[in-house]
Amino acid sequence: MQLNRLDQERLDGKLGKAMQFAMETIVTAAHIDQAERLIDISFAHIDACFYNGRAHLDFVNYMLEHGATLAVPAWTNNGLVSLNDLSLRDPLASREMDEARQLMQAYVKLGCNPVWTCAPYQLPGRPELGAHIVGSESNAVSFYNSVIGARSNKYGDFLDVCAAVTGRVPYSKLHRDEARAATMLFDVGNIPQEIRRDDLFYHLLGHFIGRNTGNLVPAIAGLSDDCNEDDLKAISAAGSSSGSVPLFHAIGITPEASTIEIAFQGQPPQRTIELTLADLQQARAELGGNSDHALSGIALGTPHFSYAEFERLVQLMNGRSVHPGLVFYLTTSRHVHEQARQQGWIDSLEQAGVKIVTDTCTYFSPAVNGLRGKVMTNSAKWAYYAPGMLPVEALIGSLRECVESAVSGEVILDPWVAE
Amino acid sequence: MSPATIAMEARVLIPGHATGPALVLDDTLSFWGGFEPSNGEIIDVHHPQFRQLVGGSILFIPQSRGSAGTPGGIAETLRNGSGPLAFVLGEPDVNISVGTLVANRLYELEIPVLEISLAAMAQIRSGDSVTIDQRGIVVTGA
Repeated sequence: MQLNRLDQERLDGKLGKAMQFAMETIVTAAHIDQAERLIDISFAHIDACFYNGRAHLDFVNYMLEHGATLAVPAWTNNGLVSLNDLSLRDPLASREMDEARQLMQAYVKLGCNPVWTCAPYQLPGRPELGAHIVGSESNAVSFYNSVIGARSNKYGDFLDVCAAVTGRVPYSKLHRDEARAATMLFDVGNIPQEIRRDDLFYHLLGHFIGRNTGNLVPAIAGLSDDCNEDDLKAISAAGSSSGSVPLFHAIGITPEASTIEIAFQGQPPQRTIELTLADLQQARAELGGNSDHALSGIALGTPHFSYAEFERLVQLMNGRSVHPGLVFYLTTSRHVHEQARQQGWIDSLEQAGVKIVTDTCTYFSPAVNGLRGKVMTNSAKWAYYAPGMLPVEALIGSLRECVESAVSGEVILDPWVAE
Repeated sequence: MSPATIAMEARVLIPGHATGPALVLDDTLSFWGGFEPSNGEIIDVHHPQFRQLVGGSILFIPQSRGSAGTPGGIAETLRNGSGPLAFVLGEPDVNISVGTLVANRLYELEIPVLEISLAAMAQIRSGDSVTIDQRGIVVTGA
């Protein structure tokens, strides 16, 4: 592999030990990817601030102690704890929660912009079409690649930081034109239009695509023109939970897929699947059935709730309150929280009994206060992961179904699903 | 039947040595969300090896998947000693490799990561005795 003079100096330790370790890691990644050279990046979204054990803290402390600085703007993903509410996860749990807080503060010290969100693409300052960036959180990688047309592989912890410190990544995989060609077609044209308009449809579709894509690059034909960024966020998140979908194309909607021919770069699909209603019902069954247990909670905002989702939630609540005894969590970013606050939505939702949380998410362990039992969510990602990490059973529903269930205190599903 | 000994060619992603029993994953696994790094347990309820512990094994991963948290999960399970002795991948995986590289650096370990062909991977059964050295992998049937 070719290294330029500056890269070689970084690798030789002439710019300090932190830079040397970061460069060694980047070069190792390039070796694994069989990349011939490195390229500059313009932005990084850092996941290594999310605590998953002492090793995370040891790594960033090593970098700080050896003089690491950032070469490009870097924004933070969710942390394990909310710096705005340290009591959200049992404050006495502990050494882990305290280390999780220390970890987040260490990344601020390193120079990261503390946006604390898994949906950084909802904030102003998006990368441009074709920009080489570093994404890490799997839904954000998928959204940046697919919906914005920026270029990122799924970098993962430590490598994201090493890329931000060096400003360099291997020129491999999704940074290259040829790897971005669609190779598998999912046709949703046979799904009834009224179902394709339902927000739940996009979660089920993403789950199905993740299950069936393997290593191919999926393209979706037949999506409604009115499909919005929250719908595309749902596909990004669900596909990256049930499988690995760092890039998908939506024909006629996403920027590298104005036609099927363009999305597939002139080649025929290697596989085609025409979705049926049964596929969606199967996806739904995999994301939780309606057991006999009483509904105990609602969890929204995985990935973080957008401004448009807040607006829709307030409309659906329509002045009603959450049923007494139910716990209703909603997670969002500080930025969107402030936008929603200015509209008066935070006050009205909190008065209705919704607990609004920033900086973190509710599907991972340890459970946020009071979240247990049968929990309804509008997120395939939440429904996929939470049952393995928390004392909960998940049940997926559309936003409307979640709201009606929250208000009534029992599960209310739309007819097409119940039949 | 005497156990067959097979020598396999491998590409070394992270160098090291290891000897132990094979554990072959039957499905993709995310090392964040599907795996508990404090004790090395598969906790993905959708995974056919749900509740399996991976500690002390040579872990064979035909196809990898996952989340940004994979390197952190790998580094932590290696730090606390609940992780595999080595990783053998059916496709190159930067995240598993970087997690291992960081753990090797921070904690002075020598956990190897190797890549073999899927055809070679298909010959491995859980429980097979495996030795990894600088040249590649040697497998002896259990």
